[in-house]
Amino acid sequence: MISLKRRSAWQTWRDVIFALFAREIRIGFNDKFGLSWAVVQPILFILLLSFLRGRLNGGDTHSLPTFVFMAYGLLTIQMFIQTFTACFNAVKKNMALFAFRQVQPLSAVIAAALFELLVKIFVIVGIVIAMSFFGIELRVNNPLAVLYYFLSVWVLAVAMGLFFAIAAIYIPELKKIQSLITRPLFFLSAVFFSLQDVPKDYWWLLNWNPILHAIELSRYSAYPTYGSNGVSSVFLGVSVLFIAFMSLFFYHAMWKKAISR
Amino acid sequence: MIRLNNITKYYHSTKGRQYVFKDLSFDIPSGHNIALLGANGAGKSTLFKIIAGSDYPNRGNVQTDLSISWPVALSTGIHQHMTGRENTRFIGRINGIADLASYEKRVKDFAELGNKYDLPVSTYSSGMKPRLAFACSIAIDFDVYLIDEVTSVGDAKFRKKAKEALVNKSKSANVIMVSHQMDELQQFCDSAIVLQDGELTFYNDLEEAIKKYRTL
Repeated sequence: MISLKRRSAWQTWRDVIFALFAREIRIGFNDKFGLSWAVVQPILFILLLSFLRGRLNGGDTHSLPTFVFMAYGLLTIQMFIQTFTACFNAVKKNMALFAFRQVQPLSAVIAAALFELLVKIFVIVGIVIAMSFFGIELRVNNPLAVLYYFLSVWVLAVAMGLFFAIAAIYIPELKKIQSLITRPLFFLSAVFFSLQDVPKDYWWLLNWNPILHAIELSRYSAYPTYGSNGVSSVFLGVSVLFIAFMSLFFYHAMWKKAISR
Repeated sequence: MIRLNNITKYYHSTKGRQYVFKDLSFDIPSGHNIALLGANGAGKSTLFKIIAGSDYPNRGNVQTDLSISWPVALSTGIHQHMTGRENTRFIGRINGIADLASYEKRVKDFAELGNKYDLPVSTYSSGMKPRLAFACSIAIDFDVYLIDEVTSVGDAKFRKKAKEALVNKSKSANVIMVSHQMDELQQFCDSAIVLQDGELTFYNDLEEAIKKYRTL
């Protein structure tokens, strides 16, 4: 007898997300080159950016070692863009699996997001190893705050990815403009500069962007001397909550119709 | 019994809503192996998916206490780059199987894949993949199996085996089946539901239903 467990709704969700997550890992690790590149590429990129900026300021950027300054920026923005893209693609990619009534688009999105988080943990380990190799001191004044800001961006990316994944079923063209949405963020999020480098009169052009707040605040939490002028933890928290709520609301209203199209 | 409560289902098109069902209420009786019959576009596969929970009606719901399989088609849920065993475990986890190890063994024995069971599905021949999909479903003890033409694939030997398994199952479970091949339906089913103009009619006798279907 192969019988089925009696599962509560929570247990079913947990089992399904675990199964999808295991599947993501299994398929993701097929592509060993892609995965190593995912770890090596950010480190090379951080090196390049800090080299360019280091030429100008001789190693320190607003009291942070330039490498560390760039690492926070690049890691956070890549966290956003890559998680967003993975969640965006997860629904379309797993369409066939929604034939199982236990699998909902949201579970596929969460599994993809967890996989991205796992990859980012490898990237962080890689960066820490690189730092010890270059003899850069590892100093994080408030690790919990850094973690919180990092995860806020992750939640933001999942919420936006979920929204666009469902919306793209109705408007397929969204898929095509996906990189158009994400690419400017690289320049708008204080990845390789600080808000302090921008004249105060122009802050309004940038400070609507919660990712910029997260990046600046995580640098501040690591090095309090960096300062947190012009950015706000409350703004970040409220934006993330608001966007997550709207996205779930939209998902709840639309997902059944979306998968039967 | 599977109870359909006021099911309304439509699709959007450039000419407005295309209704498949309007306020359809129907009880699908237990204890029968049922063939779903209907002309092309009558909504067989839509109804099939709604029963399975793979698709959702715009209004209304499906009530049942029975455990129902997913719609077993040629390769539902099978990933090319995973091995047969990994695919089996995936399907097992999603469905909440308590004992994955014996489930794996049962699928392996039934699908007769031999060593290929531990190789990626992309290396399988065209007949092996549906065999795996079918085995994954038949190895779980559901109350109702939803079968979509899957028994018509594979070689004669496998078809015979699938048939025996289903006949065996029909002592403790039931089958709801969609197929365009009458001889296949005649093998497995004893009764039928005919779909016509968004209405369902249950026929206790399959032959009578087939006669009706031929006039559609």
